[in-house]
Amino acid sequence: MDRQGAVFFLAWLTATWAPPLTVAGMVATTQGRSVVDVVCAKGGTAFVFAGVGVLVALLLSVVLARYWPMPWRQWVERHGWRLWMLSLLMLMPYVLAWLTRSSACRRGPAFFWESIFIETFILALLAVSYNLVFGFAGILSFGHAAFFGLGAYVTGLLMKHLGWNLFLSGAVALLTGAVLGLFMSLVALRTRGLYFALFSLAMAEVIHLLARNRILVHITGAEDGFVFSVPEWINPVRHRLLFYYLALVSLVVAFAFVYRLILSPTGRVFLALRDNETRAQMLGFGPLGYKTFALVISGLLASYAGILRALLNKGASPNVLSLDFTMDPLLMTILGGTATFDGPVVGAFLLRFVEHVLRNAQFRVGPWSINLGEHWALLLGLLFIAAVLLFPQGLMGSRQKGQETP
Amino acid sequence: MTQGHPASPHRRAVLAASLFLVGVVVLNVFLFPPAQVGVILLSGLYQAMLFFLVASGLAIIFGLLDVLNLAQGAFFMLGAYVGFGVYRLLGEGLALGVRFAAALLAALLIGGLLGALVERWLIRPLYVRPLFQIVLTLGLAMVLREAVRTLYGPAGLIPIQPPAPLRTTLTVLGAQFETYRVFIIGMGGGLMLATWLLLRRTRLGMVIRAGVEDREMVEALGIPVGRVFTLAFALGSGLAALGGIIAAPYIGAYPEMGDVFLLNAIIVVVLGGMGSFEGTMMASLLVGLTRATAEQISLEYLDTPLLASVSILLIMILVLLVRPSGLFGSEP
Repeated sequence: MDRQGAVFFLAWLTATWAPPLTVAGMVATTQGRSVVDVVCAKGGTAFVFAGVGVLVALLLSVVLARYWPMPWRQWVERHGWRLWMLSLLMLMPYVLAWLTRSSACRRGPAFFWESIFIETFILALLAVSYNLVFGFAGILSFGHAAFFGLGAYVTGLLMKHLGWNLFLSGAVALLTGAVLGLFMSLVALRTRGLYFALFSLAMAEVIHLLARNRILVHITGAEDGFVFSVPEWINPVRHRLLFYYLALVSLVVAFAFVYRLILSPTGRVFLALRDNETRAQMLGFGPLGYKTFALVISGLLASYAGILRALLNKGASPNVLSLDFTMDPLLMTILGGTATFDGPVVGAFLLRFVEHVLRNAQFRVGPWSINLGEHWALLLGLLFIAAVLLFPQGLMGSRQKGQETP
Repeated sequence: MTQGHPASPHRRAVLAASLFLVGVVVLNVFLFPPAQVGVILLSGLYQAMLFFLVASGLAIIFGLLDVLNLAQGAFFMLGAYVGFGVYRLLGEGLALGVRFAAALLAALLIGGLLGALVERWLIRPLYVRPLFQIVLTLGLAMVLREAVRTLYGPAGLIPIQPPAPLRTTLTVLGAQFETYRVFIIGMGGGLMLATWLLLRRTRLGMVIRAGVEDREMVEALGIPVGRVFTLAFALGSGLAALGGIIAAPYIGAYPEMGDVFLLNAIIVVVLGGMGSFEGTMMASLLVGLTRATAEQISLEYLDTPLLASVSILLIMILVLLVRPSGLFGSEP
């Protein structure tokens, strides 16, 4: 028996024993309580059985694929570390509950950390959509906040004032994002890229001003924004664990969608147009249609992120339409790696967690006590300049070189 | 970017813009009593001049270097703060006029110096990656705004006093109008003329215009293009900073003051055709007058100045649809 065979045999042995072991663990930890009680119990009891099954399955598929020509071998080789990260994120609420000795679905430290993760997922989703236009299609847009903010505003306002249900108003919000993307590309994409950057900036800023203005105060609440009631089943305070998985799944689906899109023939044309528009045109690919398509898709994804954000905060303020929500995904994309698949997500996590750490950190420099969190925007700007000047490839850019960087 | 005689390709654009300006004036005459019309037109001109000071830098820098300097708004804000600083530093002993003039000069010089430094150390390494230049200037704007907020606090400064003769009011067609705003109009007009003369009638301006047309050729003729670029960048940021201190006695100084002006300057530059100085002159008049009129209309009928920002955006969309390269831009 060769080495591969031995490993496969071991893996097979574990595979046959892991499920009964997991079930036994579940039965042992529940001890007659309901599953919800166990999931919400303090500490890591739930983590034990929820984690074992997922990890074993993943480990097996990776190990099997590495040593045996399984059908998913190539797939595992390409996505190995993404799968590990994903499984880590899937277990994260329980890991947090275990680390902080609190419940994963009742108020407590783990509950609080979940909300930070949810925010990060939403920002990562926004960054993924930004990367689609900026990184892959080569369109510099300074109006991405308009998609994001409109998603939040349209959903919330329709639910609040017209009493529409979540799905209908969400669908209208997505449609608004797509239509805005279509409109912006029809008006401004006909010219050179810079016009588009400027036009989108002006456009987003006007929508921002509109939302801030007193004239619509009865509808939008002007400066203060508005709150609306979220359906009970998705209420992020009551069912945060559910919302956590909703946001995570949304991010994964968006990621997979962009991944498939860019590796599809259409996606190849995006890259061709980005790299050499004249040449792509000579080959018969008209730039306008493809760029419009990229922008509409990106608008859809960004407004979806906006909907999630509105649901998470159970409201929206004009801030979601401000330039901040264009700058953030832009910086996340550049930091993580422009035109890489993982870059925006990594950038989002990096930025959001650095911000969180700094907000609570107090530094002492001689007689001064400095809270860097108060000057976060300044730091962010400096980071921005440093990133652009010093490592334009981004964190993922150098890693992925030659592999699958489109 | 080959153009024939400068006047010929744009005759229709000039005609359309002039017609539009006349239309705005006529609309004013119909809608409002003459006393108000005077105020509206003057206020439109005053806005136009401030927009021009920010936008001219955008246009010069873009035309020459192909860089969109989105930090222009931050330079505008910085000019106001530098001017305030110098004004306070000089103390009560000196005459108000001297202090004010020194503040103007300091804003121009420091703005220009800073612009030169930015071009030399931040923009120059990025000429190979044009998209990242824009991104960088946006980051720079953020840094400058936040640095000012950290140093001076978010509240802003109380406006300084201009010299006595500028604090009076004028009577225009029976309506009161601050002399200071007339001063802004005069100052802006003077600078507009000076910059135009600099670009059209001096050797430096000739080199700059030649650089816009064909950079390699100018370089081949033995002219240090890099130094000219730095100078042009300094000129642009200096003008924006000067605009900031000129506006400051009227609107005060606060960290976000540049943002609104940047936005309007962007609209001006897009309307005028990017990189065209004459287009910027024309478009800033257009935007200023339209804004003032729309402001007045929405104050009378809507009770909020919302229409002002929306109207110019609509004009921009319209121009982009009909003539994507702007009024004076060369066709792509």
